[in-house]
Amino acid sequence: MFLRMIRGAFTRQWKKMLMIALTIALGASLATAMLNVMLDVGDKVAQELKTYGANITVVPKSTSVLSNLYELEDGEAVSDEYLLESELGKIKTIFWAFNIVDYAPFIDTEVTLPSGAEAQMVGSWFNHHMALDTGETLDTGIQNLRTWWDITDGSWLDEQSGAGEDVCMIGTLLAQREGVGAGDTLRVQTQYGVKELTVVGVFDSGGDEDEQIFAPLDTVQALSDTDGCVASIEVSALTTPDNELAEKAAKDPSSLSIKDYETWYCTAYVSSICYQIQEVITDSVASPVRQVADSEGAILEKTELLMVLITILSLIGSALGITNLVTASVMERSNEIGLLKAIGATDGRISALVLTEVMITGIIGAVIGYFAGFGFAQIIGHTVFGSAIEMKLMVIPIVAILTLAVTLAGSIPAIRMLLRLRPAEVLHGR
Amino acid sequence: MTKRKFFLKMIATSLMRRRSRMLVALLAIAVGATILSGLVTIYYDVPRQMGAQFRNYGANMIFLASSNDANFTMEKVEQATALIDDGELVGVAPFRYESVLIHEQPIVAAGTNMEGAKATSPYWYINGEWPDERGEILIGEDEATYLGLKLGDRFTMTYAADEGQLAENGTTQAATLDMTVVGILETGGSEEEYVYISMEDLEALAGTEGDLDVVELSVSATQAQLSAYVDAISQRVPEIAPRLVKRVTESESTVLTKLQALVFLVTAVVLVLTMICVATTMTAVVTERRREIGLRKALGASDRSIIGEFMGEGLLLGGIGGLIGSGLGFAFAQAVSVNVFSSSITFQAWLLPLTVIVSILVTGLACLLPVRSATEVDPALVLKGE
Repeated sequence: MFLRMIRGAFTRQWKKMLMIALTIALGASLATAMLNVMLDVGDKVAQELKTYGANITVVPKSTSVLSNLYELEDGEAVSDEYLLESELGKIKTIFWAFNIVDYAPFIDTEVTLPSGAEAQMVGSWFNHHMALDTGETLDTGIQNLRTWWDITDGSWLDEQSGAGEDVCMIGTLLAQREGVGAGDTLRVQTQYGVKELTVVGVFDSGGDEDEQIFAPLDTVQALSDTDGCVASIEVSALTTPDNELAEKAAKDPSSLSIKDYETWYCTAYVSSICYQIQEVITDSVASPVRQVADSEGAILEKTELLMVLITILSLIGSALGITNLVTASVMERSNEIGLLKAIGATDGRISALVLTEVMITGIIGAVIGYFAGFGFAQIIGHTVFGSAIEMKLMVIPIVAILTLAVTLAGSIPAIRMLLRLRPAEVLHGR
Repeated sequence: MTKRKFFLKMIATSLMRRRSRMLVALLAIAVGATILSGLVTIYYDVPRQMGAQFRNYGANMIFLASSNDANFTMEKVEQATALIDDGELVGVAPFRYESVLIHEQPIVAAGTNMEGAKATSPYWYINGEWPDERGEILIGEDEATYLGLKLGDRFTMTYAADEGQLAENGTTQAATLDMTVVGILETGGSEEEYVYISMEDLEALAGTEGDLDVVELSVSATQAQLSAYVDAISQRVPEIAPRLVKRVTESESTVLTKLQALVFLVTAVVLVLTMICVATTMTAVVTERRREIGLRKALGASDRSIIGEFMGEGLLLGGIGGLIGSGLGFAFAQAVSVNVFSSSITFQAWLLPLTVIVSILVTGLACLLPVRSATEVDPALVLKGE
């Protein structure tokens, strides 16, 4: 009998039930969309912040003491320490390899230009293609690490086009002074050799690099007789904002207890990534670029907090919306309940009947709402970040519990009010 | 009793007698309006607040001397910064670089205003303290390791000048200063290769005053606004060549645009869903009054007067709900702003009428549809309960 009444409610009153299901679905979809976006926004914004360039620099142990300041004295045993080019692939083998978004090696030398002027020439990767031991491939280089460069003439140097080694890009200030543009050839000379380079592009960086020449790594190595050597590596990694543990570990990892050490090592703090890079690159010092690393942390934290608060507001909104409508639609049935009471139904049975109906509707609504909300989240992800929002499994129980709780919260006061009704009054139509 | 008074009385009594149902509807509208005004306020405030966060990246504009013999002094800098809106200027740090000798090693010393440097470079990590008196020095980590200096160490710093320069200053002995290390600077960048002292110390050491090499500015403004400042400054103060730090400004505008788009879309989705919720609630409230509509029709009321009365009720509810919602929404936005950005929000006066109008429109629309379909019903059928 109970089941038949429930079935009857759904077949005969499907319009009302549909209304409840629809409201619950709307509320649930809002909750799902916001929760999914909130949980993923950290990763997405972190990815966007990568436009600020590298957040870790790696230099040889001894030059981290003596520095670029003494560049002018090159050759006098100052910059004799280098990192090994052959070890570059190892950066992608550390524990947090997946978080390493981009990296590029750098080597520089002074060259003499045809005008007689000296200029700094930097060798690096532009869009270097790497085949890793793990079977993965990776395209990385300064094209990704210098997103703020404006190419004012020509184009980015394409290492993969097979243009050979004798190509370069030149900073706009230097290009103006030397009177060269894209397509011209530039003769550069060092004590180790002479090269005729084709200028592929002129860039405006808004900084010191406007006075420099950028060429493929091999070209500069040949000109400075440093085959297989790199002077520094810039690494762009996705990191977790620092906390107390990370700060303590950054000072001295060996001061941590074993448990803390493991937590630290297995969290993508900028200090633990630096530590892991030092482990794989011989005689290196990896240090966070505080300008980038710290600001990333601050911005990520604020964005996440902002989204959490907006999510809470929309959760409250959808909860109130659902409660409202459930209350309204349960109270609407006073006639029917009065009749049931008149023919002898107990309070318990009536409550069970109404609750079961509402709950079934609620579950249907929540399922529809979950998928609709996931769709909304994807729309947000694609329009804003151009990538999909990851499906977080923990959203499902949250949405389920939330919907269940608010549906119950909406029906219980209404049911209690109905139970207080006197059948005679209701049926009489008052 | 005039017709209008009767109309008002009907609406008022209807609202009063069905108090609990009307409260439910009012609550729904108020929640909707709260979300509308709260989120829109946040949406408008996010660029400003986030922009301030982005100032963590440090200086986004630098001043250089426009030519080698230009009179690049602090007065000129003050003239230039006067062109920038006070609220947008986060910090100004002048720098002057001179070679000095510490333990007979040549080092570059930067003279600056420490308060300014603190504001333009919030990412500087200092082991120890910022110097705040003359005779105190902040040492880059590279130099500290190189020179073997620790916190609290004292040493004598000598101005590294050749004899010609000394003769110009009228002495034969290079100036010296006694310094105490109060802080070691860690940035992971080239700043670690310098030592920082107060501008007064450096001027005393070098024997000349007023000259600057570079001024770092942190300005919280959009890229377009920054470019406008650059144009204005280079025109009005010809001694100064302002330049934008592209790496910071470009990246900032990219990320900020995305963030604003995110808040915009989230706001839009939340709003649409909330509006639908409000509409369904109103629809439910109206639908259950079909009997009343039937009765009134049977008594001879015209469709127009029925629609008019229902709409009057709806609009009144919408207006009240909108007003309550505007207040609550602002309170919410304020709470978010204080919690997230620890600064208060500006009240957008135009949001108040907007929220009220939107609430009235949504409620009105939500009532109109079910009322219209209800008026088409035959009163006899409705009253009989079919």
